[in-house]
Amino acid sequence: MTGLALLLSLAYLGLAFWAPGALSNLFGLVALGAAAFLRLSPQARTLSLALLTLAFTLGLWRSGNTLGLIGLVGILVALTTLPRIPNWIRALLGLAILLVSVPLAGFANTFIFELGIQIGIYAAMALGLNVVVGMAGLLDLGYAAFFAVGAYTWAIFGSPQAQNFMQGNFPLPGEYMYLFMGIAIVTTAITGLLIGLPAVRLRGDYLAIVTLGLGEVVRILANNLDHPINFTNGPQGITPVGRPPIDWFRDLTSALGIPLDRTTDYQLFFYFLVLLMIGLVVLVNLNLANSRFGRAWTAIREDEVAARSMGIPLLPTKLIAFMTGAAFSGAMGVIFAAQRTFVSPESFTLLASITILAMVILGGMGSIPGAILGAAALSILNLDVLKTFSEFVRTSLPQIPSQVDPAKYERLVLGIILVLMMIYRPTGLIPEKRHRAEMEEEA
Amino acid sequence: MKALEVQNATKRFGGLVAVSDVSLEVNQGEIFSVIGPNGAGKTTLFNLLTGIYAPDQGRILLFGKDITGFTPDRVAKEGVGRTFQNIRLFGAMTALENLLVGMHIHIRVPYFHALFRTPLARREERRAKEEAEKLLDYVGLLHRKDELARNLPYGEQRRLEIARALALKPRLLLLDEPAAGMNPRETEELQAFIGRLRDELGITIVLIEHDMRLVMRISDRIAVLEYGAKIAEGTPEEVRKNPRVIEAYLGKGAAGGAA
Repeated sequence: MTGLALLLSLAYLGLAFWAPGALSNLFGLVALGAAAFLRLSPQARTLSLALLTLAFTLGLWRSGNTLGLIGLVGILVALTTLPRIPNWIRALLGLAILLVSVPLAGFANTFIFELGIQIGIYAAMALGLNVVVGMAGLLDLGYAAFFAVGAYTWAIFGSPQAQNFMQGNFPLPGEYMYLFMGIAIVTTAITGLLIGLPAVRLRGDYLAIVTLGLGEVVRILANNLDHPINFTNGPQGITPVGRPPIDWFRDLTSALGIPLDRTTDYQLFFYFLVLLMIGLVVLVNLNLANSRFGRAWTAIREDEVAARSMGIPLLPTKLIAFMTGAAFSGAMGVIFAAQRTFVSPESFTLLASITILAMVILGGMGSIPGAILGAAALSILNLDVLKTFSEFVRTSLPQIPSQVDPAKYERLVLGIILVLMMIYRPTGLIPEKRHRAEMEEEA
Repeated sequence: MKALEVQNATKRFGGLVAVSDVSLEVNQGEIFSVIGPNGAGKTTLFNLLTGIYAPDQGRILLFGKDITGFTPDRVAKEGVGRTFQNIRLFGAMTALENLLVGMHIHIRVPYFHALFRTPLARREERRAKEEAEKLLDYVGLLHRKDELARNLPYGEQRRLEIARALALKPRLLLLDEPAAGMNPRETEELQAFIGRLRDELGITIVLIEHDMRLVMRISDRIAVLEYGAKIAEGTPEEVRKNPRVIEAYLGKGAAGGAA
C-alpha cells in the first residue's frame, strides 16, 4: 500500500514535468485519492501529500490546466481532515499551496487567479452565512442582498455614478476602497438590522420565505433606482468602479524578484487581499463560536424555550447573528465590485443566494473548513468543470444540439448534487461535530 | 418580603381554564411544593411564573417586584432558574458548555471584545470556565465535563439540568418534577441535594412533584391544585389530613375511610 501510494505520487511528479496537461493531472487526482484513502503510515501519507503538492504545482505551472487546481484543493482538504499528520506539516504545505502554488499557476493561466478570487469571495460569504445558518440556525434565503449592498456602497462612490445625485468630486480615489470596506460593513449591518427586525421574529420556513422576499426587494431596488434620481444606474449597472492603486504592491513583488505585468498585477493583489479577508473571517468565526454569543446561538438553535429560560433574549441574539453575517458579505461585496470594476443587479439574484447557501450545506453546516470547501467545489464546478465539459462536448460531438450543453444545466447539476448529499451525507462533506451530534439525535 | 407572590393568577386556553384564580405566597428560603393530579395546571403555573405565558388576570411578584408579563429571558435575569418536566438540556453541547450557557447573563463580554478575543474576553471566558467547573464539581459531575449532555445517564442529566439553572445564580429555583423517572435511591440523593441547595446557597425552591414521599419529607409547605384551582395549602401534615386533597387524589368517599 505504502509503496503504491508513493509510486503513484512519484509517477505523477514525473508526468507533471514531462507531459503536463489534463491527462497527467487526472492521473494526479488518482494518486491523490490513493494517498488520501489507502491505509498508510502517517509518514508515508505526509510524504505522498508533499510530493503531490509539488507535482500539482509543477503541472499547473507548466500547463495551466485547471484540474491541477482541483488537486490542490483536494490536498488542502486532506491536510485539514486526515488524522495524524504533524501540525507543522499541515501549516507548511497549506501555506505553500496558498501563497506559492496558486500564484505560480495563476501566472501560467490567469483564469486560475480569476477562479481563486471567485472562490475566495464566495468562501468568505459562505463563512458569513455560516454564522447565520450554521450557528444560529436561521435559514436565510436572501443573503445575496447584503452582498449587493456592499458592492453598491463602493460602486456608487468609487465611480462617477455619485455625481448623478451629489455634489462633489467623484469618483473617489481608489485608496478609499479600504475605507469603504469599513463603511460597507456598517451599511450592510444596518441593512441586516432592517431586514432582520421583521424577519427573525419568524421561524423556520416563514423566515426563509420572508428573507427570500426581502432579498429580492434589494435586487429590484438596485434594478429600478435609476429614476427619478439615478442612484444605481438600473439594469445597465455601474462601471468603471475604482480600484486601489497598487504601486507599493508592484514595488514589493519586484523587490522580491517577481516582476508583474499589467494582466496579472491586480489579479495577484486581489488574490492576496481575498486570502487575507478569509483569514480574518475565519478568525472572527472561531472567536465568535467560542464566545458567549456563539454558545447562545447554539442554544437557541437547539431549544429556544430552554435558551430563553437561561436569560438569552431571542430577538437581539438572533439579530446579532444576522448582522454579523451581513457584515462579512458587505465587505466582500466591496472587493467584488473593485475586482470586477463592474456591478449590476444580475450578480445578486436569488440563484446567488441559493448558491451560497448550497455551499454551506454542501460543506457541512456550522463547519468552517466545510464552508470554504463548499465554496471551492461549487465555484470550480460552475466556472470551470461544466464549461470545460461543454467545450469538450461541442468539439468532440458536434452533432449534439446546443440545447443540451452541460453549462446550461448548472442548476440541475447543483440540484442533483444537493439531493445526493441529503441522501448519503446529510451532515456535509466536512461535518461539524455538534451538527453531527444533533443529526444523530434526530435520527 | 416574600420570595414569590402569585395574586389571583388565571390562564385560559380557549374554553379551558388551566389556572384559575390561584394565589400563593412563598417565603424566602422555603422549600415549597405544588402538587395535584395530572392536568391540574401545575406546569402551566410554572410557565406563568417564568414568563412563557402571560397570565390573563392576576399579578406575579418576585421579591416584591412585579414581573407579570415579563418575557422568559427577563424573568431569568431577575434571578429565576428553572428545570423542565421533560429534560431540556442542550444535547449536542458538553456538560461544561451547558453550564456556560446558563452563565450567559453573568459573562460580561461586549460583542466587539468577543469578535477579536481581546484580553478582557479571554479573562472573562477563563473565569466563567473555572466557575462552571466549580459548579460541576458541586453537583458531582466534574468528571463528565467534556461529555455531550445527551450521552449522560438519566439521573446525571437531571442533575446537570439543575446545575445549569444554578449557573444563573438564581434567587428562586423552580424544579418541574425533578424526581420523575428516578429510583428510590436516586430520589433520596435528590432530596439531600435539594436540601443542600437551600441550606448552603440560600436559594428559595419551588417544586412540582408527584413522588409524595419526597414531597412530604422535603417541603416546608405545600399547595394542592385541582382543575387549575388551589384546593389546599399548608404544611405537609395539614395537607395530608385535608379531606379535599384526599378526595382529589383518591376519589369521593375515600376521605371518610382515610380519616
